[in-house]
Amino acid sequence: MQRRSAARLGPLLLLLLLPLAWGEGPSPPRADGELQVSNRLAGQAARVALHYLNYRTGSPSALRALGQVRKATVKTIPGIGHKYYLQFTTEDYKSSQNVGTCLATVLYLKRKPRPAVNINCTYTKDQKQTREDDYSFYKKMRQQTKPITGNDIPDSYGNIEPALEPAWALAVAGSSYLMWEKSTENLGYFMAQVKNVKQWITKDDSIDFDYSVVLHEIPTQEMISCHLRVIWTPGHPLKVKYFCLSENQRSESGEGSGTESGSTNGIFNEEEANF
Amino acid sequence: MHLAIVLLWTLFILVEHDLFPHSNSELVTQHYLGMTYENRPMYYLKISQPSNKAKKIIWMDCGIHAREWISPAFCQWFVKEILQNYKTDPKIKSFLQNLDIYILPVLNIDGYIYSWTTERLWRKSRSAHINGTCFGTDLNRNFNGSWGSIGVSHNCSSLIFCGTGPESEPETKAVARFIEKRKSDVLCFLTIHSYGQYILTPYGYKTDLASNHQDLKAAVALKEKHGTNFTVGPTSLILYKNSGSSRDWAHMIGIPFSYTFELRDKGAYGFILPPDQIQPTCEETTAAVMTIIEYVNQKHFPNSAVAVTSGSLWLGLSVLFTWTLS
Repeated sequence: MQRRSAARLGPLLLLLLLPLAWGEGPSPPRADGELQVSNRLAGQAARVALHYLNYRTGSPSALRALGQVRKATVKTIPGIGHKYYLQFTTEDYKSSQNVGTCLATVLYLKRKPRPAVNINCTYTKDQKQTREDDYSFYKKMRQQTKPITGNDIPDSYGNIEPALEPAWALAVAGSSYLMWEKSTENLGYFMAQVKNVKQWITKDDSIDFDYSVVLHEIPTQEMISCHLRVIWTPGHPLKVKYFCLSENQRSESGEGSGTESGSTNGIFNEEEANF
Repeated sequence: MHLAIVLLWTLFILVEHDLFPHSNSELVTQHYLGMTYENRPMYYLKISQPSNKAKKIIWMDCGIHAREWISPAFCQWFVKEILQNYKTDPKIKSFLQNLDIYILPVLNIDGYIYSWTTERLWRKSRSAHINGTCFGTDLNRNFNGSWGSIGVSHNCSSLIFCGTGPESEPETKAVARFIEKRKSDVLCFLTIHSYGQYILTPYGYKTDLASNHQDLKAAVALKEKHGTNFTVGPTSLILYKNSGSSRDWAHMIGIPFSYTFELRDKGAYGFILPPDQIQPTCEETTAAVMTIIEYVNQKHFPNSAVAVTSGSLWLGLSVLFTWTLS
């Protein structure tokens, strides 16, 4: 409680009080200011921003993972929530090669369930190549007369059949929507495995898959089983429907079609000082 | 594939020690530690250069969480590295004069086997609770270090169930009794996990810092191998809060260097690491662990490091001398 009045005394005092705030059990920091780049809340927020980016980009060949946080600050917006201002590097999801840096804001709202994200990134991977890779996967799937299926991707030993690798990547992109929706300031997710994939042969331009995926939830360590329906045309927003069951039999579902708020244009409206 | 190769190598080395008693048997011996819940014997390997000298102890355990397969693979690799190089590597020769290395390749044997035969992503042990309707304690929440206080569940159905009491599990008891008895000799306690790419220092249950800077040097050595970045820091600040961890407990009973390693990767493949990453992960982690052991050796046995240091000092001076003359 005493930290609320201390907040008026200036950023320097806030920085000094940060360790006290963190001593408060598992709750997020109540004091504003700069976070250590290794702080778990900074990494957590950066990952949320990347889930949103991977979903909105909707490109299995251009998935990105968190590299390193370079700068992180947090601001309390009274009655609304906590806003994180982040600068971080990114890596190619599969190869771990550096592929550019991002500036992002992540606003955890007290009322709405999903975090509001603004993100803008440089991208150093050859975009012509990723478009070609996406299109070649798409074309191959469009040409299937028999729907592709698969189980346990990767298998227990870490192997992914090359033919199923793009379908796995599409599952990551689709799961990103659901991981973005479910993430909170303290709860984070990774897609651990595709248990099952089944293609639906469609008459329209899209390719269509049913997935069972397992998400790893941090810090509870739980494995969450979810069903995903992913409908995709390269260069268009992903359409994702999901249904999850957890150990406690809580069920959650949702639907995304690429029109959700959280634009990539708003970033330069932020005051530079906030970064 | 690579895991099978490492496994075969280790079996070969152990078999060789039985068939050819004068090869590695002087260096590595197998010892009984205790029994698991499902009555499997737990064995640790003691790497010890026979001598009259009283040694201090480095402890390393792997596989406390069943699904973290890269961890037991690393312990096997590390043993292989020592056995292959102890006669030729001067740093290994030096620390083996003063230190015994105790390695427990798989702490949670029941859980590990279960993850191979039944459920790949199993984490806990296989103890039965609530009349056999619920299984498993998170062994890394079961140690007597602020047990049950934070970052745990008291519900068996949770994956971070801390057990019915501190050291309620036979696996935990076996390790804790062993370390407790020898705690005045144990200089370093290392516990290997995945994933995340972290070197974690105490504490998880509170935010007091218990640091020295060897963790940072280890991360530098690790990065030099394959460019992999590890984040270093206290668990409660960089990962999440937890209590009852073996690392916290070890430090609380007085072991000065107590670290948790979280190996590759950072979440893209997570627990199910691609096989082509097994060897590089083992190589880089070996470099990091060697850095820590070398530091502990130099800190506690300064005379033994002198031969190496003065040698390189003379070399450095002669190079400088030659350069200034030219």
